Amino acid sequence: MNHKNIRELLGKQILFFDGGMGTLLQNRGLQTGEIPETWNILHPEVIRQIHKEYLLAGSNMVSANTFGVNAFKCKNLPYTVEELISAGIRLTKEAIAEVRTEYDHPMYSTLDIGSIGKLLKPLGEISFDEAYNTFKEIVIAGDKAGADLILIETVSDSYEIKAAVLAAKENSNLPVIVTMIFDENGKLLTGGDVASVTAMLEGLGVDAIGFNCGLGPEQMKNLLPQLTKCCSVPIVINPNAGLPVVVDGQTVFNVDPDEFAESVKTLVEMGASVVGGCCGTTPAHIQKVTALCGKMDIVPVTDKNLTVVSSYNHAVYFTRKPLIIGERINPTGKSKFKQALREHDMEYIYKEGLTQEENGAHILDVNVGLPEIDEPQLMEEAVTGIQAIIDLPLQIDTSDTEAMERGLRYYNGKPMLNSVNGKAESMESVFPIAKKYGAVLVCLCLDEGGIPETVEGRLKVAEKIVNTAARYGIPKKNLVMDALVLTISTGQDNANITLETLRRIRYEMGLHTVLGVSNISFGLPERSRINTAFFTMAMNNGLSAGIVNPSSEPMMAAYYSFNALIGEDEQCMEYIMKCSQAQDKPKEAAAPKKSDLTLDEAIIKGLSESAYAATIKLLEQNTDSLTIINEKLIPALDVVGKGFEEKKMFLPQLLMSADAAKASFEAIKATLSKQGKNSESKGKIVIATVKGDIHDIGKNIVKTLLENYGFDMIDLGKDVDPELILKTVQEQNIKLVGLSALMTTTVVNMEETIKLLRENGVNCKVMVGGAVLTQEYADMIGADFYSKDAMGSVRYANDLHDKGEL
Amino acid sequence: MDIRNSDIRQRVNMREIYRYLGYGTSTPDETVRAMTEEVLDSLTGVVKPRNIYNIYHCSTSETEVMLKDSQNPERVLSFKSRNLSYNLKQCNEVILFAATLGLEADKLMQKYEILNMTKATITQACGAASIEAYCNILQERICDEASSDGEKRYLRPRFSPGYGDLPLQYQRTIFNELQCTKRIGLTLTDSLLMYPTKSVTAFIGLTSNPQSCHIDKCKNCNNIGCEFRNES
Repeated sequence: MNHKNIRELLGKQILFFDGGMGTLLQNRGLQTGEIPETWNILHPEVIRQIHKEYLLAGSNMVSANTFGVNAFKCKNLPYTVEELISAGIRLTKEAIAEVRTEYDHPMYSTLDIGSIGKLLKPLGEISFDEAYNTFKEIVIAGDKAGADLILIETVSDSYEIKAAVLAAKENSNLPVIVTMIFDENGKLLTGGDVASVTAMLEGLGVDAIGFNCGLGPEQMKNLLPQLTKCCSVPIVINPNAGLPVVVDGQTVFNVDPDEFAESVKTLVEMGASVVGGCCGTTPAHIQKVTALCGKMDIVPVTDKNLTVVSSYNHAVYFTRKPLIIGERINPTGKSKFKQALREHDMEYIYKEGLTQEENGAHILDVNVGLPEIDEPQLMEEAVTGIQAIIDLPLQIDTSDTEAMERGLRYYNGKPMLNSVNGKAESMESVFPIAKKYGAVLVCLCLDEGGIPETVEGRLKVAEKIVNTAARYGIPKKNLVMDALVLTISTGQDNANITLETLRRIRYEMGLHTVLGVSNISFGLPERSRINTAFFTMAMNNGLSAGIVNPSSEPMMAAYYSFNALIGEDEQCMEYIMKCSQAQDKPKEAAAPKKSDLTLDEAIIKGLSESAYAATIKLLEQNTDSLTIINEKLIPALDVVGKGFEEKKMFLPQLLMSADAAKASFEAIKATLSKQGKNSESKGKIVIATVKGDIHDIGKNIVKTLLENYGFDMIDLGKDVDPELILKTVQEQNIKLVGLSALMTTTVVNMEETIKLLRENGVNCKVMVGGAVLTQEYADMIGADFYSKDAMGSVRYANDLHDKGEL
Repeated sequence: MDIRNSDIRQRVNMREIYRYLGYGTSTPDETVRAMTEEVLDSLTGVVKPRNIYNIYHCSTSETEVMLKDSQNPERVLSFKSRNLSYNLKQCNEVILFAATLGLEADKLMQKYEILNMTKATITQACGAASIEAYCNILQERICDEASSDGEKRYLRPRFSPGYGDLPLQYQRTIFNELQCTKRIGLTLTDSLLMYPTKSVTAFIGLTSNPQSCHIDKCKNCNNIGCEFRNES
């Protein structure tokens, strides 16, 4: 019997993993193309023997031969996930039992989980939930079979890792260790770095973190300081036997056991407390390692006490140098933003995000709450959409606990959460969620009694929050206090109270702080003057992060000046750079506004800014918006479209005109919405890239053009299930569907989709396009129209519209 | 094999990009040319290209190609395809390789699809030309390296699953063999397409028979009606 749960040993004494499996199996007869995990059933004696060799060499944890088992792989195998996993775990336990009779040291059966080998949406193929469910099946099987711990290893996508960790923690109570592949620069293949994933994993509560595969022990020495600097849990290092070397055209690893053990010893001295091997390592390597390191003391594991959030690709620390949290993704007081939310115009939200990123935000606040919308759903969509294109960490901002949970769950990194307050009800509902996902939590200094009017009152609430959070296992480093800002127009002392509260929280309580800065000037003229001055004062009184508008030049000027003044801007480089950027700006902006181009000229030339300006001019002259569209915009687009069909103009020009037309539409739409009207639609069209196909640029081009011609486009995306297309068509009574497929192998799914629509008697036309399609093929699969290029679809949709069929 | 992004940038064939954008043999106007240069700069600025390859001994029959692991002659990979077999007929050695521009290219496209559809389309074309350039540099370096034993090797045209009668299913074999996911972050969908999207897997024959037909393979392709066919 093991005397102790492995959790009691981790970080207290040195522990050893085993080494490689793949090469050993090849040497014992595993054939090319054969799946190693099938040997759990076909050749159990070989697997058991390998485990025994490692245990006798001194390994404490033997990894079951389950690395590649998952539902996707098992589709092509005669075994289920459960069969392969339970056989795998059983073999480790049998090996442990046999070894124990002659060599009694702590030995643990490890459920070994590798990558699924699929990229996650929105960029990739499978959803976060599918990944989660795939891991869940593995975890349940491993737990049932009696594994002592879970090792998630050789993973390189932080989002997939998060799905795996959640699956492990929600479906078992086993300790979870995660080791990842980094390249020599300390990057994951999906772009994350050591600090960003470490922040995420500690937040999720894993028991140990480390490196495996990819590099040899020597390269890991260079990387390890990055981990020891930020990691507050035990560190695991399972290197390959060196970097892969190509010998006679084949990849091999050739660091010998003695050399390997010497390097591993240094890694232990540097701070690793669990060590073993990966590709190319053998029981002989592990034998040398345990002999050399078995008696070593480990470097004590200490809390680095960092307040940190992370995105998929980098970590952001709260330090003396304040941070900018972009406040613009928020509908409060913004009618255009509200309209975008109601119309489900995600693009609008993404653009707000991109602009703030460009203007220097470090973190983006995301608030998509409106009474009439499904906030949890929209929060999930906004978070997944934003993190696919923006590199910044996000602050999930909502009072709806379901929206909170969804936002945090689908977030790729260690999130920030806005907010909890001192009310018992708020703390009871928010703390468990924040704890589970490791969020850095914004805490408002108010409670059942409202916002305290005194500094002492606010500090008391802050203390209450800190103490209650501790009971939920949330450490101080994950709490950021909002001292609260009330406008000075209603209380002369309001700024003073906030600033003093801020100072004492930061310097006496030792917590980081945050403020929604611009509230200070509510009800006053020329608000940015007050805001800027207050922002500087707040930063000087211990503000760690300001929730501000990064597009406000005075605010950002105050920010960069402050950093330069407190010595947090080396040689004032950032300040100087920002100044020179600001000087360049006005020149650019000035030119197009004075444009003399007419709207049709601007559209034909593809100049968005001129098109926007020309449209505004027309609207100011009281030209009716419909007249603008029908007599200027559409004829101009037709000129370009015709030029394209006659091969006098080309795709980029067509698209530039489309972008210009879009700018013109935006001007019209803004005017209409001011008058409380909506722009008219020529009818709804569903568009999709078919199941199995992941190429969607062609589809997106068609969508852009059709939108320009006034059609309401419902874009179902890429790799779309035929059932979803049918459902959408039926529910929204759609008359025209556009399908795209690029590969001969996926055109069959186009045929399937058309068949499904026809079988269900849906009365809608189907137009198709894509590189490998021809008129003949389109006819064969029963399409109503084959569009050889993007303009073809415009012609067809217009025809249907004119005939009253759309 | 390490290749610098600037080398890829330099090697990119601008004419290819314009062809992908539908220009055929004509040249875009100043605006589009400038935009293309700009997009290509940002693309080749952000991508993190990666590659992985092995070299095998090769033998062919009329209908099958057999690749033998040089370290472990018992391990044999077999591919049933007349076209591949014809392509590799005179080759004693074959490079099996996978290369990718990485997720950064996909991210950039996704970003431009929101900000500027023209740039998104140009990024797509630049991505296609860049992965092509990357593969071209790579295969030449691998060939040089293979020739370092004194005997000069020449390259046959790259041949990928899905070409001719070589089934796409062999993507699975290549992925397993080269460990593409673990080593370079390439993933395979159930429909056998690759993420990141700007990626290539291929066989490249090595032969001591001098020929220089490894690039510009349009003329050898059966798809006569192809929009992008390059006869020049």
